[in-house]
Amino acid sequence: MLVVVCIKQVPDTTQVQIDPVTNTLVREGIPFIVNPYDTHALEEALRLKDRFGFRVAAISMGPPNAEATLKKALALGVDEAILLSDRVFGGADTLATSRVLSEAIDRLNRQEQVGIVICGKQTIDGDTAQVGPGIATRLGYTQLTLVDRIEKFDPFQGRITVRRKLEGRHETVEAPLPVLLTVVRELNRPRYPTVPMRLESEQATVQVWSNQELQLDQNGIGLKGSPTWVSRIFSPQREKGEIVGDGAADPAGAAHLLVDKLVSRDLLVV
Amino acid sequence: MSPNPKLFAVLLLLSASAFVIGCYRRFSLVALGRPEDRLDAPGTRFSRMLRLAFGQQRVLGKPFGMNHFVIFWSFIILAAANAEFLVSGLAPQVSLAALPVPLQHALLFLFDLVSMAALVCVLVAFARRLFFAEPSLSSDYVKARSPEAFLILSLIALLMLAYFGLHAARIAAGIEDPAAMPVSAFIAANLVAPLAIDPATLAVWSWWLHALALLSFLAYLPQSKHMHILTAIPNCFLAGLERPNTQPREEFTRGGRFGAGRVDEFTWKDLFDSFSCTECGRCQDACPAAGTGKSLNPRSVIHALKTNLLANGASLRAGDAPPQPLIAASETGAGAGEGSAAENAIWACTTCGACMSVCPVLIEHMPKIVKMRRHLVQMKASFPEELATFFENVEARSNPWGIAPTERTKWHANLQVRPFEQGKTEYLLYVGCAGAYDARQKQVTVALAAILDAAGVSWGTLGKDERCCGDSLRRLGNEYVFDRTARDNVSLLAERGVKKIVTQCPHCFSTLKNDYRQYGMDLDVMHHSELIAGLLASGQLELKQRVADLGRLLFHDSCYLGRHNDVYDAPRQALTAATGSAPAEFARNAERSFCCGAGGGRMWQEEQEGERINLNRVKEALQQEPDTICVSCPYCLTMMEDGLKDLQGGSVRVKDLAEVVVEGLRA
Amino acid sequence: MSEAKIGVKRPRGKARLIEGRCIACGGRCESACPVDAVEMSGSGEPEIVASKCIGCVKCVKVCPAQALEVVFTDEEKRILERLATESGADAEVDPEAQALADKLAAYRGVWVFVEQTEGEPARVSWELMGKGRELADTLGVPLSAVVVGSHVEELCYHSFCYGADQAYLVDEPVFRHYRTEAYLKAVCRLIENYKPEIVLMGATGLGRDLAGAVATVVGTGLTADCTGLGIDDRRNLMQTRPAFGGNIMATIMCDKFRPQMATVRPHVMPLPERVEGKSGPVIRVASGVVEEEILTKVLAVVSDRNKDHVDVAGAEFIVSGGRGMMGKENFVLLQELADELGGVVGASRSAVDAGWMPHERQVGQTGKTVRPKIYIACGISGAIQHLVGMQDSDLIIAINRDPDAPIFEVAHLGIIGDLFQVVPALTERLRNMKQKAPEDAICSNG
Ligand SMILES: Cc1cc2nc3c(=O)[nH]c(=O)nc-3n(C[C@H](O)[C@H](O)[C@H](O)COP(=O)(O)OP(=O)(O)OC[C@H]3O[C@@H](n4cnc5c(N)ncnc54)[C@H](O)[C@@H]3O)c2cc1C
Ligand SMILES: Cc1cc2nc3c(=O)[nH]c(=O)nc-3n(C[C@H](O)[C@H](O)[C@H](O)COP(=O)(O)OP(=O)(O)OC[C@H]3O[C@@H](n4cnc5c(N)ncnc54)[C@H](O)[C@@H]3O)c2cc1C
Ligand code: SF4
Ligand code: SF4
Ligand code: SF4
Ligand code: SF4
Repeated sequence: MLVVVCIKQVPDTTQVQIDPVTNTLVREGIPFIVNPYDTHALEEALRLKDRFGFRVAAISMGPPNAEATLKKALALGVDEAILLSDRVFGGADTLATSRVLSEAIDRLNRQEQVGIVICGKQTIDGDTAQVGPGIATRLGYTQLTLVDRIEKFDPFQGRITVRRKLEGRHETVEAPLPVLLTVVRELNRPRYPTVPMRLESEQATVQVWSNQELQLDQNGIGLKGSPTWVSRIFSPQREKGEIVGDGAADPAGAAHLLVDKLVSRDLLVV
Repeated sequence: MSPNPKLFAVLLLLSASAFVIGCYRRFSLVALGRPEDRLDAPGTRFSRMLRLAFGQQRVLGKPFGMNHFVIFWSFIILAAANAEFLVSGLAPQVSLAALPVPLQHALLFLFDLVSMAALVCVLVAFARRLFFAEPSLSSDYVKARSPEAFLILSLIALLMLAYFGLHAARIAAGIEDPAAMPVSAFIAANLVAPLAIDPATLAVWSWWLHALALLSFLAYLPQSKHMHILTAIPNCFLAGLERPNTQPREEFTRGGRFGAGRVDEFTWKDLFDSFSCTECGRCQDACPAAGTGKSLNPRSVIHALKTNLLANGASLRAGDAPPQPLIAASETGAGAGEGSAAENAIWACTTCGACMSVCPVLIEHMPKIVKMRRHLVQMKASFPEELATFFENVEARSNPWGIAPTERTKWHANLQVRPFEQGKTEYLLYVGCAGAYDARQKQVTVALAAILDAAGVSWGTLGKDERCCGDSLRRLGNEYVFDRTARDNVSLLAERGVKKIVTQCPHCFSTLKNDYRQYGMDLDVMHHSELIAGLLASGQLELKQRVADLGRLLFHDSCYLGRHNDVYDAPRQALTAATGSAPAEFARNAERSFCCGAGGGRMWQEEQEGERINLNRVKEALQQEPDTICVSCPYCLTMMEDGLKDLQGGSVRVKDLAEVVVEGLRA
Repeated sequence: MSEAKIGVKRPRGKARLIEGRCIACGGRCESACPVDAVEMSGSGEPEIVASKCIGCVKCVKVCPAQALEVVFTDEEKRILERLATESGADAEVDPEAQALADKLAAYRGVWVFVEQTEGEPARVSWELMGKGRELADTLGVPLSAVVVGSHVEELCYHSFCYGADQAYLVDEPVFRHYRTEAYLKAVCRLIENYKPEIVLMGATGLGRDLAGAVATVVGTGLTADCTGLGIDDRRNLMQTRPAFGGNIMATIMCDKFRPQMATVRPHVMPLPERVEGKSGPVIRVASGVVEEEILTKVLAVVSDRNKDHVDVAGAEFIVSGGRGMMGKENFVLLQELADELGGVVGASRSAVDAGWMPHERQVGQTGKTVRPKIYIACGISGAIQHLVGMQDSDLIIAINRDPDAPIFEVAHLGIIGDLFQVVPALTERLRNMKQKAPEDAICSNG
């Protein structure tokens, strides 16, 4: 059985800043990293490999330099790494992205049966959390989002039980394979690569699939296949630190003011 | 002279075989280690050997050191007497008697007195172990091994007694001149004669006693800790010439193994070390980890190496996998035992170097611990959970906390700080991660900037291009990431044309100064205490007032400034110049200073076992009743402040040296 | 054409990147360029090959960051000026655009999906009803509630009270628990049959799970986690949302596809006034979903409120105490506040070292890293070792009597004062407000 992990290369958005003068994004020198949620997806796939001996394939759609991301996955122990890169894939929204990714998974499935696809809950750049459901729907796999624990997995029966983390509650769900999971950070603690694996991965090759391989209709992928587009980008109003009331002279008053502020800004629901 | 040369020859052969086989078994195992050059600069090595081995410099520093000094020299002198004894035992015609009488008398006189001195010292050693055992001698480990010590001491005592018996008998029999041997003559006159002991019988008995004691000693030597009699002197010759402030580089090629996860992944010198340990316990007494109840004990680490090597030697020589693991997951888990080091012990080391600075035979403990860390990190990716975050942060964001690199310049939000410019700026101020991100240490950076400005020093920074120096990475055994960090930093500094660097952190200081030299960087790196002391001494920095508000100042030596880089005087001079009087000292100060607990990457780990090291040190500080504890390192600052808070140190403050000096700039 | 009239070719200019504007969106410009004149550099920014560029402005239009412009030489500028004076603007009627407009016109109405768990509606649904009302009024179309579940008809009436004109109801036992396959089929069938132009759902775990699947089946655009919605002059929905970890805001359009779908972040749209006694038509629709087709089984739903195991790392509200708490017994104060918020109590290392809290509650460098919605630090100075564990929280509130404590540098809101007075006052205020809160604003968390 093959486990497929989808990983995306993203700019390290915690390092992105807004230039206070020009009000534009300062992106200079911002490194690209593996989307943090995807490191947890990868870890879970590798744990399944350790436990059941499944093969793991990592796929990523992105520009040629996203190869670095897949090399990191190789250093951690994935068996196969595929970069989906073609200029016709560029500019995709989630609909077009999930089309390319699901086609790639389908291709892998023709070589070896795919049992589980694991995605991160969301990325830290696009932040949409839509690609996972998109892939699952296209492939007709059962979609289990926001997984924070795999409760039970029986590859022989072909069933999996997971716990999902929702607002204020947890839900335990059972489903037959094949499934697509999107995972949250609480699921696991990603492993650290050993040096021999790092050195090995420097040599290992990342396969690159372009649309030559996937043969998708160009109207359904990339910019052309994307119903949404970003019309404008601007910087948000930043909240600055604010001292509420006079806590020394009137602690109760300050406390009331604080609660009112939270409620009026809908930060708190009562 | 020998009562029975033939019998003696047989016994000698047996004893010598045992000795040779014992030695061979051990030394041939040493050859299993990896290669390493330890014969460079023979002159320096030789003089050091004279000072430390023959001069017993480190031994003399301790109570009962004199005792060992005397035994050591007795052994060397009596080696001649015993050689004569062995030879004449086989061939009675060859003996001292063949020498001209004045020389013969001189030698006998010397041997006689030296034997007496040795006997007294052995008895003192007995008494010490029985009645005045210091903590290092009362540990379970030592107790378990004291039969061996008593056996050896008894053998030596026996040897001396037999020696006197033999010579007293000869004096009594009129063979030897009593004038040459005052002690033996005294015995002859006061014991042999009054008790009417037959001199001939006494001579034979004494001779055999002496022979058996000597031969047993010889046979037993390679099995015991007294092997150090043979290895200590060469070990002093072979010890590393570099100070232990850096670790050797590793080559990262595919198929390689990194660090030491098996005993044969150490170098031959590491293995030789393990046979040289005298089990004196000095390292253990000095070690902050052992001293606060952690599972780490440097002596046990060395001992584990030896035991492991002996247990695995045969398999290793046969090219098989070693049955006994070198590193055990825990002290009680699988593979644990005398011949292995536990993982939590390996992570407990602060790399303070105290162990190495006291070891009389120059054993290198800390590098071995780092080698095992290298194995754990690089081959097994097995380390305390907290370090995963640390490693990722340094790799991805180039600082331990994972804060955005763009925030590196925030410390000078309200200051005019210029970037370093080649040719225009003299000093690069290497702010360091703590100096740039830690709210408390930022105050020190600001103080240092004010001092530099007041002295008219031209300085600049790398701004947000500055990166972590990689100190903790290296000490934690993450050599691969350190290697890349060091390469990047060295090329950045070269590209910017930096010639002189000033740091406020002893860890940046030592890394830039010592570790980066391996990467071809040779810059003038100064710790801020050195620069400030120099500026004050030359008058370039003039203070407006004498610093008095901080009260009684107590200075804490940082390991990476003091012990690892010998900077002891500069901070004290700076403080003296600023306050008008020398700072107070800890009971353990300078070379003997006690770590704050943060070095060696301990800063990034939780300290669960035993007493907190920083509390131990702060308690020691409070004994001196200071108003202010003065430090010169960001980690020490955190450790001391946290310790004071935990102990409710009242009004006692912690200040960096720069913060003390900057007080003097206020009008 | 005007060019023919005056006999000069209209100059096209060349595209150029405006320094520092590109956000490396993934090469929209590259994909848009018909002549491959845009090449992407390693850092994800475009390099325009001037010799190839034909000045078609496709890249300029498509760039979300307005990072590209077309520049003209002085000579070209002069020609342009002349052209401008010589000819009036000629309105081109694009037949393609007309066909598209006709296609889009088939879709009408604004829908709000009413999310519920076990019959209890999510508050965000009512927030959306308020916003949906506004959009529907602007467009002059009806606002519909979409209610799917088992025994949930009542929610249709709540929807009317919050502003819906009508409701679509799918009420069958198979929808008792939310399961993607079942809900997906039901909602897709509704969309197919009734063709709305806008579909809004809450950006909750459930809403995002469902919306992503629905948009894929319907084959339309979906905008995630919006914080602002509006209508532009061509009746298209303008959807504004944070991205890049909240560092930028983006306005997303989906002008060539219908319906325009969006999930909307809870707590950003105001809750509309509830008007009692409203009613409207309820359109009952059979889903055609049979239990046998649904492979997923929900085995258990456990509320976090009555969990004995405290998981600081995953908590949404955390009240933490430090050395300023002065003693173990005082943590009760924090527990009371945490209970009001539905959160848990955390601690600084000092508090853990003092034995006031177990190590699992420690937040920071050698403790847990937390990212709650609200983090309240009480009597914590804000040492860097603590900050690294909680600085990614959505909102940080500090209560400390020392105005210079570094915690205030990262706090969004702070009270300088004695925590022993402030914390109980906070708890009390929350309690009072809850008691006053109207019974009928029933809603689950989220
Ligand atoms: C500012 C901005 C706003 C945007 N807003 C929207 C929007 O509202 N709606 C929309 O449809 N598109 C939007 N996009 C486009 C969207 O970011 C891209 O389609 C992107 O390719 C995937 O979406 P995501 O990053 O949000 O992924 P998510 O859906 O958040 O990702 C979930 C998981 O899917 C997998 N995954 C996602 N992308 C890839 C990939 N390229 N390769 C491999 N695995 C992957 C990963 O496992 C990931 O953890 C926006 C882009 C920008 C720059
Ligand atoms: C290796 C290492 C790892 C560490 N890891 C962590 C970690 O994971 N997490 C962590 O938190 N720390 C960690 N620390 C400890 C850290 O350095 C600080 O010591 C610690 O965070 C301080 O805790 P505190 O803020 O509770 O205490 P303090 O710094 O003593 O602060 C107490 C605060 O309470 C305020 N206060 C007192 N009384 C009142 C009152 N009545 N009302 C209002 N305010 C009041 C004071 O003004 C003060 O600001 C670590 C340290 C080391 C060396
Ligand atoms: S370096 Fe310091 S902590 Fe490490 S073993 Fe030696 S004395 Fe102990
Ligand atoms: S290693 Fe050195 S200091 Fe430690 S016990 Fe052995 S000889 Fe003594
Ligand atoms: S203006 Fe047109 S031709 Fe020129 S780079 Fe942009 S898209 Fe390509
Ligand atoms: S379209 Fe704009 S933001 Fe995207 S890559 Fe091109 S220039 Fe950069």
